[in-house]
Order: sequence, then C-alpha cells, then structure tokens
Amino acid sequence: MPDKKDDLLQGTLDLLILKSLARGPMHGYGVAEWIHESSQDVLRVEEGALYPALHRLELRGLLSAEWGVSDNNRRAKFYALTATGKKHLMQEAEYWRRMSGAIARVLQTA
Amino acid sequence: MANRWLEKIWQRIRATSRPEQVNRDLDDEIAFHLAQRVDKNRAAGMDAAGARYAAHRQLGNVTNIRERTREVRILTSLESLWRDFTYAARALRKKPGFTAVAIVTLALGIGASTAIFSVIENVLIEPFPYPGAERFMTVEIHDANNIDAVGRAEYSAPEFLDYIEKNHVFDLTVADASEDVLYQVGGGMERLHGILCTPNTFEFFGLPALYGRVMEPADYEPSAPPTFILGYKAWKSHFGGDPSIIGQTYILNGTARTLIGIMPKRFGWGSGDVFLPVKPVRAEQAFAAGEFPPVWYLIGHLKPGVSVAQAQADLTVIANQLARIYPKRYPPRFVVKIVSATDMVVGNFRTTLTLTLGAVALLLLISCANLANLMLARATTREKEFAVRSALGASRWRLIRQLLVESLILSVCGGAIGVGLAALGLNSIVALIPPVTIPAETEISLNLPVLAFALAVAMLTPMIFGLVPALRAARSDLERPLRDSGKGTGSGTVGQSRFRDAVIVCEVALSFTLLVGAGLLMRSFVALRGESLGLRADHVFVTRLPLPSDRYQTAAQLTGFYRPLLTRIKSLPGVTDVAESSALPPYGGFPTDIEIAGSVHAEKWPALFQLCSERFFSVLKIQLRDGRFFDENEVADARKVVVINETFARRYFDRANPIGRRIRVSDLANFPDKVADPWFEVVGVVSDVRNKGLQEPVEPEIWLPYTLTGSGQRGILVRTANDPMSVMDSVRREVWAVDRGVALTYTGSMENYIHLQSYAGPQFGFILMTLFAIVGLALVTIGVYSVVAYATARRTHEIGIRMALGATRSDALKLVLGMGLRVIAIGVAIGLVASLALSRILASQLWQTSAHDPLTIFGVAILLLAIGVAACVVPARRATSIEPTLALRHE
Repeated sequence: MPDKKDDLLQGTLDLLILKSLARGPMHGYGVAEWIHESSQDVLRVEEGALYPALHRLELRGLLSAEWGVSDNNRRAKFYALTATGKKHLMQEAEYWRRMSGAIARVLQTA
Repeated sequence: MANRWLEKIWQRIRATSRPEQVNRDLDDEIAFHLAQRVDKNRAAGMDAAGARYAAHRQLGNVTNIRERTREVRILTSLESLWRDFTYAARALRKKPGFTAVAIVTLALGIGASTAIFSVIENVLIEPFPYPGAERFMTVEIHDANNIDAVGRAEYSAPEFLDYIEKNHVFDLTVADASEDVLYQVGGGMERLHGILCTPNTFEFFGLPALYGRVMEPADYEPSAPPTFILGYKAWKSHFGGDPSIIGQTYILNGTARTLIGIMPKRFGWGSGDVFLPVKPVRAEQAFAAGEFPPVWYLIGHLKPGVSVAQAQADLTVIANQLARIYPKRYPPRFVVKIVSATDMVVGNFRTTLTLTLGAVALLLLISCANLANLMLARATTREKEFAVRSALGASRWRLIRQLLVESLILSVCGGAIGVGLAALGLNSIVALIPPVTIPAETEISLNLPVLAFALAVAMLTPMIFGLVPALRAARSDLERPLRDSGKGTGSGTVGQSRFRDAVIVCEVALSFTLLVGAGLLMRSFVALRGESLGLRADHVFVTRLPLPSDRYQTAAQLTGFYRPLLTRIKSLPGVTDVAESSALPPYGGFPTDIEIAGSVHAEKWPALFQLCSERFFSVLKIQLRDGRFFDENEVADARKVVVINETFARRYFDRANPIGRRIRVSDLANFPDKVADPWFEVVGVVSDVRNKGLQEPVEPEIWLPYTLTGSGQRGILVRTANDPMSVMDSVRREVWAVDRGVALTYTGSMENYIHLQSYAGPQFGFILMTLFAIVGLALVTIGVYSVVAYATARRTHEIGIRMALGATRSDALKLVLGMGLRVIAIGVAIGLVASLALSRILASQLWQTSAHDPLTIFGVAILLLAIGVAACVVPARRATSIEPTLALRHE
C-alpha cells in the first residue's frame, strides 16, 4: 500500500503527465523530457514511476495509446489525452491552483 | 466507425488474454526510452558505454518497472470491473419492476432447460455406472420383412454358447436370464426378481461389491456350493440394510444358498434383486420337467477398434449357421442388428427426450428474445444517459461492458433461481417418467455436469439477449439524443423498432411451433385414451402368482392350487368375481401357429393363445359375439374347447360360421407339460380385446381352459365392489391359506397397470411439452405487451399530433392494434412454416393424429392472435385516452 506521500507524488505526477499531453500526442520519453525542460530543470521525473503512471492513466481511460514512429524513425508508443482526460486535467489543474494559492497565502502571513 | 471500436475491443481482449504481448510492448517502450536517452547523452559528449550506463541509472531497475506496470494493469482492470458491477447493481435496483420481470423470465428459461438437461444427462448420456458401458452391445435378430418390428435379443443356452465361442468381435460376452426367486419371510412367501448370470458377468460390469465379494470363476461351476449376491435395493427393503448378513445361508427356491456379496446402489443390471451364478450348458433338457428353459439375454463388450458394422458382419455369419440348426428360431430372411445397451434400454424414450430438449431450447430462446427486447427498450430510454457518459469520455467499450455486466447480473440471479426451480421441478418430472423406460442404474439428480450446463446457459444467455442492445446503445451517435428534447420520433428509432419487431416475430414463431407440438401431442394422447380396450378395467385387482417349480409342474398340481383358491376368493366380502389367467390385457399370451380342420394353407397362420378360467370374460366384461363361453364343468374336466376373438374368426374363417369347427394350437405340443393332440372345438366368438398393446392392431387370439397344462405363468384377476386395492390383504391371506409357499407379485389395480403400460409414456411428452408451451405463451404475452406499450408510449407525441389534426379515437386504436397484430401475424406465418417443416420429427410420437392436423394448427393461430390482441388492449386504451394538448406537452 502506498503511503500518503506517495499518493501526493502520484497525483502530482498524473497532473504533470496530463498537462504535458495537452499539447498533443507524445511518447513516454518526450513526456519526461518536457516536464524536465518546462520546469526549467527543477522537476526531474523519476523515470521508474513514469511508465506505471502512463499505463494506469491509459487503463482509466484518461489517455489513449497508439504505436507510431518517432522523429528519428524509431517505433514508439504515443499517448494522447481522451475527452475524459481533458476534463480531468481541467479539474485537477483548478484544484492544484486553488491549493497552491492557499498554501502560498498561508506561508505569506507572518 | 463500428470497425474502429470493434478493433479496440479486440485489442482489449487480446491484451487481457495475452499478457506476454503486453509485456513485449512494455519492453519495446522502455527500449525506446533508453535509446532516446543514450542518443541525448552521446550528443552531450559521453562515450557509448558511459551514455548507456547513465541512461540505465536514470531509468532505474527495468524489472522493477515492468513488475509495477503489470500490477497497475491488473489492479486497474479489477477496479473498473468492480465499478461496473456496483453501478449495474444500482441501476437494476432503481428499476425493481423491470429487474423482477427479467429475472423471472430468465429463471423460467434456465430452470426448465436445466431440469430437462439433467434428465437427458442421466438417462441418455450416462445411464450406466459401468466402465466402458458405451461399448456394451446387444445382438438382435430382425425379420427382414418387418425390419422395424421388435427384434429377438434372447437366445437359448446352445445358441448363446455358439455366439460366445465363434465371434471375433467381443472381448467379453455374458448373458442374463430372469427367474422368480421365492424366499420365505415370516408367515409367508415373498418373491424376489432373480437374475441368472453367466461366468464373467461381474468382470464384465467391473463394479466391486459394496460388502463381501463378487462372483469368481469357481462359483459358476455346477459342483460349487450354491451362492448368491444381493442387489442394493433388495438388501435395503428385504434385509434391513444390515451388512453383517454376509456369509449367512438363505433358502431361495428351495435351495440353500450362501450370501457372498452385496452390490453398490447403482449396480442394477436387469433390475435384479438377487444374482445367481449359472454356467449354461448345451443340453437344454437339464431343467426340471415343468419349467421352460431360461432365455438368455446376450450382451457383449465390443473389442477396441471394432466397429458396429464389422460386428454385425461377423455375427451374421454365426447367425446363418445357427439358423440352419434351429430353423424355428430364425425367420426365413433375417437381419442381425448390433444395438448399444443404452439404445436398447432407453430406446423409444430417446425421441421423447430429444423432443423435450428441443422444446426447452425454444423456451430458452423465447426467454432470451424477451429479455433482449426489454433490455433494448430500457437502453433506448437510457440513450441520454449513455450520450452524456460518452460525451464525458466513457469509451464505447465501457458502455458495452456496462450493459453486459447488467445482463450478467440478471442472468446469474435468474440462473440461481432457475437451478432452484429445476431442483424442485425435477422430482415432478422424475415422477412422470414411465417406469421401465429408464434403466434401474440411472439416478436422476442435479449433478456436476448438469450444474456446469446451467452455468454455461446462464453465461450464454446474456450474450444472446444483452449483446445486441449493448452494441446498439453504444453505436447511437452522441449529439442526437442530447439535442432531441422529445422521446424521439426521428428516423434514428426506425432501425431500433424494426429490430424489436423482428424479435417479437421470432418469439411468436417459436411459441407457435411449441404450441403446435403440444397441441398435436395432446390430440394424440386424447386419441389414445379414446382407444377402446375392449374390456372394463375399473374395479379390477390383479396379481401374478409364481408357483414353486418343484411342487407345481403338472396340470393336476396347478389345478389343485387354483380351484380352491378361486372358490375362497369368490366368497370374500367386496369381491364380486374372480378369474385365473395366463396373460393380462392389453397383452395377450403365447404365440402359436394354428391349423384349421378343412382349411389348407401354405403359409403359417399365427395367433396368440391364453389359458384362463371360465369367469375371465365376465370379470373383464368382454362381450360375447357368437356361440357361448366355455363353462365351469368344461374347465374342471379340461375339455378341449376354445373361444376365439373376432379378428381370428374374420381372418381364418372368412365368412363361414366358426362355431363347431376344429382348430389345432400347435405350440401346446411343445410345452414342457405338453398337451397331446392339441385339436380344439370352437364354442364361441368374443369381441376383440387389445392384445399387442394399445397402438398395434389386434391379433387373432384363442382362449382355452387353464386346466389343460401345468406350464406357463399364471395370475388372478379380481373384480371388486369398491376400491380394488382394498382386497389385497384378504386375497394374500387366502393365497397363503391354500399354499404358504406362493408369493404375490406385481399386485395392483388393472387401471394402474394399463396406465403404466400404455399411457404413461405419451403422457410424459405431452405434459412437459404443454407446460413449456404455456410458459412460452406467457412470456410471449409479456413480450408483445411490453413492446406495444413501449412503442405506444414513444408515439404519444405523434398520436397527439394526429388527433389534433383530426384523427379520431378509433384511428388511434387502429394504429396501436395494427402495430401489435402486424408483428403477430408475421410471426404466426413464420411459425406455421417452421412447424410444418419440423412436423416430421414429431410424427413418430403421434398416434392417429396427422402431424399437419389442421384443427391444431388453426387453433394455435387463433390462440396466438387472441393473446396478441389482449396484450395490445391496455396500450391501445391508453392511446385512445390521449388528450392532444397533454400529449403535445408530454415531455
């Protein structure tokens, strides 16, 4: 059983994955790289956790997956957001904004 | 579009059914990731080994990732299955009426098919508990001129020995013969059904004894100490089920025999109570003077690899040799048939059971069709729900799975109740099965294969009734139901209502076929009941009295028993008349060839003859047509006088007066206690009495005084003032007062005897078929009602508009009735064609009823149309009471 810390991390990872795919279909490596780059190298995805998370999201119907060919002509599995995934991303992102805003306000009060 | 999600379904199924494919995909995915990372590292200036090492370190343990991903896959699919399940259960609970109707419909279908399948499994598929029983074969000699008639499967001892020694196709051959075994209990004698068995019998059947041991080769030797083996039922009923009696000695038929073994419950070959070892010898005369030699019922185990046709050819060679030695026992032209023991014992009952299985399959299909329609109607009202869920991202596969899970819950509940119904109904079905049509070894119960069958049916039915509605619901496009504010009269529903109509048409057609089958069997049964026996069977008590063969061999000995017995019984209170007889109608006596003085004929003239006392005709109220019955003095003096039946007079005397003519009953000269010079004078002609069963034409028959010979089994018939069974105890007392060594067997009322012999079989098929037809009809009524009511509800809006535009109430009524009657009429038409096509199967089960009986077919059509109109009445009334203004506002 995962403990609470893992849950938070997992939820966060799911959100980041969904967000990264909002730009369009991408393979697992691309997701990891995009999160890394767009967080200006702050967030480094633990790659070992990435693939179980992608598969879980796929099975839940938030992502769909298809085999395709990468830029450098390699066979790769591309993930894309489904309609449910988009809706989920909106809800989760909103929740996250509210939470982080609230936490920031709490931390600002002297 | 359909193709794409079919492909997806396929992928899902493949993914769950082929985990190695999933693993390979994951490996590819990880390999790609590593390759990309290595490229990037190389671009940053690392050497090849360093780049690979860094990539691996960053990703972590690949095996671990693979494990975690697989875990995710399993957990997620279990989780979503559970969600589907709880969601489905909640959806069903919200509609208790629909759920109840659906479950009851399924329970009836599954219950009926499970009950019938358990009969079929136990009777047709596994009737015998013996290893290798499917290769047990009997050998039958059939007259080539009448190949369908019952063949001869019994052989004399020398014939049997020849078949054993000369055949090349059986690895083991045994035979059994029946014998009355008289055995002293308390103050009187009881009769057990003895089976004489030849060497190797117990090796042949291969079942060990429950207690003690089975026969060994030495036990069959004439010099061996006499032994016997007890059957389970007789052990329980006559010996108190006590295993310690093994080794004790009992007097059976006057011989002291040691009990060496008790057989298990399902060993019941020949329905025997006791099994006696006998080694048949070629000298037939080894038997006592007054007895007929036993007839051996032969059974062989087919060698591995030998076909029935090969066995037939091999045994035909032997039969041809034997026919030259015993010309009397073989017809001039004959055919040898090898018949499996199961076919031999179950024989005609197979057709009845197969028909019933067909009927029950139709019933199950009707249940499924009904359910499909209910589900479809429900799915249509849930179109919006599905559209919303689908817009929110639920995949089509999810929706289909959702509906299938709902169907599965329904059919599992229906199946569970159905198995309960089957268990309850099975006892009634078993009670209906005519005795002796199934072997004594057969135990009919809900066993493992039957439960597996029920489970399979419960899993299969949702596929039949749930899949099509699910596919249709999932296919419906997204926006239309959302845009559509009314309940929809748009073009999209036409296809769906077509489908619903098609289902109802099928249902009506199936039900029509079932009803026609039941109707024909009923007509046939009524015809059979109406068939005159030629006698009055009410208020008659019958019993067969096997006499101890050591003391009763001659006519004088036999008469010495019966004459005082008849006098004693006649004077009992409640008894109005009594007679002795060697046969019990509707079956008549011994076969013989006859000759008539003054008639010359080349071919053989066959007849049946029966020995009886003078009161036989008055006890059964058989009508005298000409001359007179023989009288008390003629019987007492064993005069050579006979009474013949009308068929005899018509066939052999043509139009001449038979009274005073002389006939020779040739086979009396071959009786163990033979009648020398068996020429008789005809003194009377009586009306025909059935003597080959109810369904065969009456044969020429002769009655002669019972005092002429001591041979042949006899019994008594007692006409009573009240309930025939009320005299049983007093009759038994009188029998034992005359001779304590005589047992009463097959006691009962004549009516019951005739019922079991002649009516029980047809009644079984007819009652079951009728039951299924009624249930089917009820289901069809529900089906038609639900479809018409649903269609009417959906068209409320339309009807309202029509009425606002000037249509009258009777127009609305016509509209609704028209909807219902159109589908029923089409269904009836298809059913008519189907039942005409299927009637050939039923024909063999019908008696004096055409398989195309117009009255039945017409009646069924009227019945179905009437039921259809009745089912439309409520929706039609609802339609005519529509207020246009209300209807237009209707949702």
